[in-house]
Amino acid sequence: MSDHFVLVITVLYFLLIWAIYPHMAGRRNIANLFSNVWPLLALVIGQMFVLIVGGIDLSQTSIMAVTSVLGAMIMAGRFDPAKFEQNPLWSVVFSEQGGLLAGSGWAVPAAILIMLVVGIGIGLFNGMAVAKLKMPPFMVTLVAMSFYSGLAIYLTRSENIMHLPDSFIAIGKGSLGPVPSAMLIVVTLAVLAFVILNLSILGRWFYAVGQNIRTARVSGVPTERVVIVAYVFSGFCAAIGSILYSARLEAGRPTLGRNLLLDVIGAAVIGGISLYGGKGRVLWAVYGVLFFVVLDNSLNKMPLEFYSIDIIKGGVILMAVLLDSLRTSIASRQTAAEGIS
Amino acid sequence: MANTKQFILMLLPIFVLFMNGGCSRKDKEPGQVTICFAFQDLETEYWVAAHKAITETLKDKNITVLQHNAHQDANRQLEQIRDAIAQDVDGIIMIPQDGESAVTIIGEANKASIPIAVFNRPPANKSNPALVVVADNTKIAEETVAYMAKTARNLNRKMTPLILVGDLGDQNSIERKNGFYNAVNANPDLFKKPIEVPTKWDAATTLANLEAALQVESAVDFVFTSSDFLYPQIKAVLEPLGKWKPIGDAGHVILGGLDGDSTAYKLMKKGYVDATGVQDLFFEADAIMEALLDSIEKGQTKPEKWIQDPGFALTQENMAERQMDMWGCRILKQAEAGAAP
Repeated sequence: MSDHFVLVITVLYFLLIWAIYPHMAGRRNIANLFSNVWPLLALVIGQMFVLIVGGIDLSQTSIMAVTSVLGAMIMAGRFDPAKFEQNPLWSVVFSEQGGLLAGSGWAVPAAILIMLVVGIGIGLFNGMAVAKLKMPPFMVTLVAMSFYSGLAIYLTRSENIMHLPDSFIAIGKGSLGPVPSAMLIVVTLAVLAFVILNLSILGRWFYAVGQNIRTARVSGVPTERVVIVAYVFSGFCAAIGSILYSARLEAGRPTLGRNLLLDVIGAAVIGGISLYGGKGRVLWAVYGVLFFVVLDNSLNKMPLEFYSIDIIKGGVILMAVLLDSLRTSIASRQTAAEGIS
Repeated sequence: MANTKQFILMLLPIFVLFMNGGCSRKDKEPGQVTICFAFQDLETEYWVAAHKAITETLKDKNITVLQHNAHQDANRQLEQIRDAIAQDVDGIIMIPQDGESAVTIIGEANKASIPIAVFNRPPANKSNPALVVVADNTKIAEETVAYMAKTARNLNRKMTPLILVGDLGDQNSIERKNGFYNAVNANPDLFKKPIEVPTKWDAATTLANLEAALQVESAVDFVFTSSDFLYPQIKAVLEPLGKWKPIGDAGHVILGGLDGDSTAYKLMKKGYVDATGVQDLFFEADAIMEALLDSIEKGQTKPEKWIQDPGFALTQENMAERQMDMWGCRILKQAEAGAAP
């Protein structure tokens, strides 16, 4: 029952809001809710892997920004000279006629591939710094956030890149039959995450490292490699999020996701994924994102002063963190007591 | 097994909600007009005053206003406006994060057949119809800088001009820059090559970049800021260099800006600022609300109209007769009248 507690709360809250605002359950609003769920869920799943091994990835949003502009530079069909002529990459990587592969059938697949590779590469770098150099994850990823955000702005001189191919935009806005493309991608990602965490030895290693890294090491778990894989997966998921957000906004944006980090970590914690490591499930990530998106959506419907919305959202996240702290504290006291007896 | 049963039971309400999706009940009373007011942030005095003017006027007309602050995140703004569309609002007023995201968001409103009005920051292109009110930024900036140039000519020396450039993703910023160059290029004998300092409409960025620029070129004696809200940063950089002097003192830097806020007014009164371009905030707010309410009344779902605020340059010469046309001055006078016993 406790596994599904957040889902129960979400459903009850949804019903309550529905009673007040009937449009809450309207087809268009339900479609909206889910279209907001998929890209955020991709990021939360990646963040979950890092949280499980006892780390944190603050660089996810900057990975989104840098991959968004790199992908757009490859596939955009046209660049406005008034905005980009002064860019050092003008006539080298892109020109008025478009990006590096503009017009080619390979433009979109190549751009997506590069976005994923860059996301994985940044994750690999973060993971190496944390696992091999023993640098604090908070510091490594905070610096990475600053560096890659700056890089994205430098590469574009703060300009958004429009004129992305329709086939790319369809990833964020289109559907295959009745199923949205974004849903297909993120559900596949969630299944992959589920298989890794629940059905593979690697999954057990993730939890072992997060619960007690020394014990895990003594037990023969290759702890460094496990930590690196967690950050790599987080970078990969951030790149997936970047693809979905860039497609729905129809632009490569150097500031993509600038204020999204709190939503990602907030949704993870609300779902029950512990900030102290060792705890997290794909289903919890889904529930956390669902609750967060329903909360956000419902607050948008209320004629509140804009600052009230921020205060309420902040309060809910704070409550979730408090619950996580209490739960961890009680669990460690129980473990200590069992050890003494 | 029991756990799975419980889980399926909990999913039932969601299924029921889906089945009921699209129900015909309405959130609002018949005849009640609801307008979504989505703004990108309230980081400058101009946006704060515009927010106040729009929300208070709409509330005075007994219109329900749903306020959404996107915190400078285009994706968040898109989600907020989609939520408002799902709620069947009658109209949308938007201050977009940038011209590119404005195009995408207007497209969403067009698809839903909800009239949308864009305040002060125009969309990057006219591909999607909308009501738009925007100042003639090129002309206002040109007139302001032309007055500054006229003042500079009295000094009988070649000037070193500097422009604080706004975010180039914002059409207003590009037009202000163009206006500056029109006036500078009209006086080739008076000016050396202008120095451009990027601000990204951010105070901290401005401070850092302006300090760096003046370390490289200390002879700067002519400064135009693309927005008045950056005057505190200009003062913070010029004062330690002994360049913050009132008009008439040796070493006075010829100073001008654009917006017309209360800081610019006070600095003009004290004689530090030579001229400032003024946007007619109250005209813009009234014009956009009138246009939107008119479209709602006439049942127009995709109205298209570009309303231009001609603005003007407030200079030390015309200040006595035109200062009450400056919104910053009026706000200040109103506040003083309110504070008076």
